[in-house]
Amino acid sequence: MQRTRRDILLFMGGGAAGAMLTPAPWRLVTDAAIWSENWPGIPRPARGEITARYTNCALCPAGCAVRARCVAGQPVSLAGVAGNPLSQGAPCAFGLTGHQLPYHPQRLKQGTPEEAAAAVRGAMAKCGPGESVAVLDLAPGRASSWTYRRAMAAVANGVYLAPPRPLGGAAVNLAKARTVLSLGAPVLDGWGTPGNVHAARANFRLIQAEPWESRTAALADEWLPIRPGSEAALALALKDPKTAPSAAQATGLTEKQILDLANELTASGPALVLSADDLPEALALNQALGAWGQTLVARPEVPVPDAWKKAAPERVVASVPDSSIRVLFIDESVPGSHIPWSAVEKKLVRDNPVVVAFAWSLEGYGRHAQFTLPTAVYPELTSDIPPAIDSPAATFRISAPLVAPPARMTDPSAFIAKAAGMDAGNALQERADAIHKSGRGTLFTYADGKSTPLKDIKPDAFWKSLNEGACWVDDAAVGRASWPAFLSSPHDTQAEPQSTAFPLLVAFAEPRTASLTSPLMSKLYQDSDLRMAPNTAALHPDTARASGIAGAARAVLETQYGRCAIGVIPDESVPPGMLEVAAGPEVLDICGAFTRAKVVAA
Amino acid sequence: MIAPNSKSQPSRERQRAVSRYGMSIDLDRCTGCGACMVACAVENNVPPAHEGATARKGITWIRVFKVDNGEEGAARRSVFVPVLCQQCGEDTPCVHVCPQQAVEVDPATGIVGQMPERCLGCRYCMAACPYHARFFNWWDPQWPAGMEKTLNPDVAPRMRGVVEKCNFCHGRWHAAKERAAAAGKSEIEAGAYVPACVESCPTGAIRFGDLKDAASEPAVAAKDAHSFRLLEKLGTEPKIYYHSKRDWVRQVAAAPKPPNGKENARG
Amino acid sequence: MPFLAGALAALGAGWVGFPHAIYKSRPQPVDFSHKVHAEKAGTKCEDCHAFREDGTFAGIPSLSTCAACHTAPMGTTAAEKNFIDAYVTPNREPDWASYAQQPENVFFSHITHVKLGQLKCEQCHGDQGASDKLRPYQVDRISGYSRDIWGRTLFQSKAAGAVPGMKMDDCVDCHRKQGLSHSCLDCHK
Repeated sequence: MQRTRRDILLFMGGGAAGAMLTPAPWRLVTDAAIWSENWPGIPRPARGEITARYTNCALCPAGCAVRARCVAGQPVSLAGVAGNPLSQGAPCAFGLTGHQLPYHPQRLKQGTPEEAAAAVRGAMAKCGPGESVAVLDLAPGRASSWTYRRAMAAVANGVYLAPPRPLGGAAVNLAKARTVLSLGAPVLDGWGTPGNVHAARANFRLIQAEPWESRTAALADEWLPIRPGSEAALALALKDPKTAPSAAQATGLTEKQILDLANELTASGPALVLSADDLPEALALNQALGAWGQTLVARPEVPVPDAWKKAAPERVVASVPDSSIRVLFIDESVPGSHIPWSAVEKKLVRDNPVVVAFAWSLEGYGRHAQFTLPTAVYPELTSDIPPAIDSPAATFRISAPLVAPPARMTDPSAFIAKAAGMDAGNALQERADAIHKSGRGTLFTYADGKSTPLKDIKPDAFWKSLNEGACWVDDAAVGRASWPAFLSSPHDTQAEPQSTAFPLLVAFAEPRTASLTSPLMSKLYQDSDLRMAPNTAALHPDTARASGIAGAARAVLETQYGRCAIGVIPDESVPPGMLEVAAGPEVLDICGAFTRAKVVAA
Repeated sequence: MIAPNSKSQPSRERQRAVSRYGMSIDLDRCTGCGACMVACAVENNVPPAHEGATARKGITWIRVFKVDNGEEGAARRSVFVPVLCQQCGEDTPCVHVCPQQAVEVDPATGIVGQMPERCLGCRYCMAACPYHARFFNWWDPQWPAGMEKTLNPDVAPRMRGVVEKCNFCHGRWHAAKERAAAAGKSEIEAGAYVPACVESCPTGAIRFGDLKDAASEPAVAAKDAHSFRLLEKLGTEPKIYYHSKRDWVRQVAAAPKPPNGKENARG
Repeated sequence: MPFLAGALAALGAGWVGFPHAIYKSRPQPVDFSHKVHAEKAGTKCEDCHAFREDGTFAGIPSLSTCAACHTAPMGTTAAEKNFIDAYVTPNREPDWASYAQQPENVFFSHITHVKLGQLKCEQCHGDQGASDKLRPYQVDRISGYSRDIWGRTLFQSKAAGAVPGMKMDDCVDCHRKQGLSHSCLDCHK
């Protein structure tokens, strides 16, 4: 039989008709639709048993209590612990994304600890007279901090350096305050323990004296818009009303406003005066208002083992002679205060100092150190968190790991202790034992929300609870001590005078952090304009124009400490003569307290 | 098909109590900290901003805006306003316009549920929504290596080309219903389920509850004289009640144009 | 004639060839017999496919459930020996394929259906408990869905351990019959 083209076409037609009666074409259509919706590369969340684990957040001194929702042991979200006596269940945006930090793309994964140790040994052996080995601890008060102090005491020329303690180490008792005058302190935007501040908010009248309408100013009971740099003059006038006329001129307020405020502070006490960076005038005003023993108290020390008392004293960087440090260890493993690098650098010897930084990224001091050894990052690390500034009681809480750190991480305490020929031991547990021996205080456990007096708990149970999410609070009454000497002596921070070289006053618009934050924080500054991205600054359009910058642009920020690149955003709500900056590590390297700066186009 | 079980519950017990979930937001407490924004992204598997993302193209199911009274200098006053899907109860614009029926008002909870798996990405709903509460996935989600371990199994990640929006964390509603079922109950108790933004707000500015329960905070706020809703005159009957004792805040909310004259004409 | 030939060829290809081609088949990692465990060990469904305290369903048991009994051989079969050698001793989780695997965007609560709906396991999963062998897992190459969600079709016999369908239509049908809510938000994530 001859096959004609017609036959072939009939065959194909029959095939098509037959195919319509089979599942094939219909199934292929549905499958294609489903396939187009399930793009490879879209991750499927892991399944598993959902459990709750508890810890404390190590990202700032507030140390808020954290409940982690874990899927098969992996934290997938964090929340606060309601009813916690210290933090009242209110973590901030940084804390809510803390569980993502271990996967930060800029996380440091390897270092050269053997090389670093060899370099340290070599340099320590070479130390001449007048030269020292130093540890710069950016988060003092921890058990690790005591290990460093003991290590530096064990080394002949060891020095322990830490940033100056805010308020000289005193604590704020916010619950007692009825009137709070804040000279630019971000009381409602990251100061102290946010949960504690908001819980106490209804008890006090907040007066925010600040040149710009910050978040705190927007929600304060009263906003006093003073001229940039006039905080000290205002504080002086409130203490000594005779200077009110000159203060009025400096601040732009009327004399009546200043005198009324002075009256309010004395009449509606107990009062508290806070400033953005420990202004000596603000501290003196506190003393005059009788804050000591009321809203400013001496916090009892968190107990330490007696054997630890032989430890190097805490010193500030400025107290060390220039060019005297041969070996410097910088502990950046836990976020803390930041000291401008140039202030640190001038203390290093000129010839081949060895600088070893312990950090989880290269973005901080890692940019300047010879060796940066990677450490565990919250929530992988184990550390205690010193009491927050607004905790009048001594507290002890441990940030216990929720996930295992990767291999080859360095433990700064072990490294430094070894370099000093000392055994680090288990400092955290020794400290917990010392606290338990004191028998004072109560333990609040997060899993069951119970408060138990310490004397009713056995030592093992105490240690176990601390590692499963708990906080110890020494609620013993704080006595009224005399005004401590350190609060009235000449202070490390002095406001820089205005100069033509550096005409702009720097203010921090966002909570200060030198540490990298979760990539998800870009929701706040890239996907929206709620916050400013790190290393960006806002300027009044006139100021920007005067600095030669048109519109949003890249620029260079320069201070007496150095220069760095920033992004500039014009914003009419910023007073002329001010620079509001969202600090990242580069900016914090060149901005200290009350810094003056200038901005030039890039 | 599965035959009805002879031991199943009689039909009148199967009629569930209907809830109308709503929120009250106290603008006198919101500090603009942004905790709600990141908590929402963590809960709902929203990825970090893509390289090309901007304030217009980013995905922020809840977004806090800073609004001011239009004055300069010392007379300037600002307020922070969290805006999320208003869960319109009446004539829901997005439901009306969707050609795919990818969004519907859930009869049991009143939640306007967006189903990204049905969406074809025409973005008609984004044009229809008067509150700019809907977001398009311009890009596939990208998490840094390893961060996909922190994804929430109760919410499905979306691919590019679909619209997504706040669903009042209905993954948490599912979990609450499952816990109730484990205890033998078919209804969840008040307070058993709160969205992530409510749980994370440090000042307690955002409160959540059933508007049908007269004792719940949103129901109480709804009756307060200082409460208002956004764009009430459109008749969408949103279920989010904003509250402020400050007169100027309520005036700005009700004003036809922004005080400083700068309208967001590009939407 | 050619038309008929074409039609027949297409029908044959569509009904026989196509299913063969579209489905990728793989055997389960372990030759597990439900029947043996039900009869000899007296286990019921819930003993291994357990509910946790909070109501979530643990699904296919993990190695620890099996290893609780099978650290040493309990019988004489080669299948059990293979299992112990390949999985229990090296502490390796078998990669079971779940016949009822649903897409990522589906929320299904077992406890609601079992406790409140009072459904028996067999009503949706068929008489798995009586099966002596696990049938191979067949997955659609394009969509990635298991063949078993289609359930009992015209050409599948009961004896082959066929199960009722688990597609969205099947769930909605049953909810409708029971007078239960079936809005999108009930089942979708």
